[in-house]
Amino acid sequence: MRLEKCWFCSSTIYPGHGIQFVRNDAKIFRFCRSKCHKNFKMKRNPRKVKWTKAYRQLHGKDMTKDATFEFERKRNRPERYDRNLTEQTLKAIPLITKIRHDRLEKHISNRHKPGKRKEMEKDSKELDQDIGLLPKKLISNELAVEKPKIKVKVVQQQTEDNAMEE
Amino acid sequence: MAAFLRSKCPSVGRTLMGSLGNSLFGAANSSVGAVTRPSHCDAISQQIRTFIQMRTNLKVVDNSGAKRVMCIQSLRGKKGARLGDTIIGSVKEAQPRGKVKKGDVVYGVVVRAAMKKGRSDGSEIQFDDNAIVLVNNKGELIGTRVFGPVPHELRKKKHLKILALAEHIV
Repeated sequence: MRLEKCWFCSSTIYPGHGIQFVRNDAKIFRFCRSKCHKNFKMKRNPRKVKWTKAYRQLHGKDMTKDATFEFERKRNRPERYDRNLTEQTLKAIPLITKIRHDRLEKHISNRHKPGKRKEMEKDSKELDQDIGLLPKKLISNELAVEKPKIKVKVVQQQTEDNAMEE
Repeated sequence: MAAFLRSKCPSVGRTLMGSLGNSLFGAANSSVGAVTRPSHCDAISQQIRTFIQMRTNLKVVDNSGAKRVMCIQSLRGKKGARLGDTIIGSVKEAQPRGKVKKGDVVYGVVVRAAMKKGRSDGSEIQFDDNAIVLVNNKGELIGTRVFGPVPHELRKKKHLKILALAEHIV
């Protein structure tokens, strides 16, 4: 079973899916679905269309350099069959896949970090500056609620007294 | 505009565009596959493509001497011929001193069709143009060479000689 890559979006094409277009110079363009085929017919460049792998890799959205990508590649030298080697390879495949997925996730979370920090800073600044905008009643209520809460833990009677007073 | 030009001088336009496509391909061959751009195929593929039927013009991709053949009868089905089917055609343009001459009625196998055709695994295949290879009424080739890509489905139709002579099999 051979799994091909889509010419436009670089996703995997499983057997029986998609369409092949053969140009007269015998170059084969494989597409995973009609969406990719239509985009090809519209002469769009996959590097400029945001949802394709080519765009994401070009713009640093996805991880491109990693040791886990080195394992999977076409080798021109035929390997002599070795049962142990084959077994080990088969065992390693899911492991490598897992490591790669973890690293991809980490890459994305790392990529999001500066933005998230900026957002936090912005929020805290806004809170500091504009706390006066909140209705005073709300603030005072909050404070009033907070104080007895601490007292609750210490002595139960006092809370009752407070409630009575209020 | 492109379509108009094409209809006016089909053979010239095709050869020019074909060579352009080839040179582009050669230049971009070393880079990644995802970077190469289609050159001339888009004007064709955006039309809705149908069966090869009476009055369809086909390019002849062998060295029999004919250049353009017009379909006058499909030997398969009511709707017309598709990839791999045999048709009867009339030679509309031919090179001088070829094996066939203008006005001859010839048999031909459709080796490329612009209409999508389902493959045995469920995917589909589509070519740039409509092209045939001339054969006699027993299915033997008239020419001795076949140009351009041909589909492996011809094996099922028992046109092994075409596959053997073809430059590329897809």
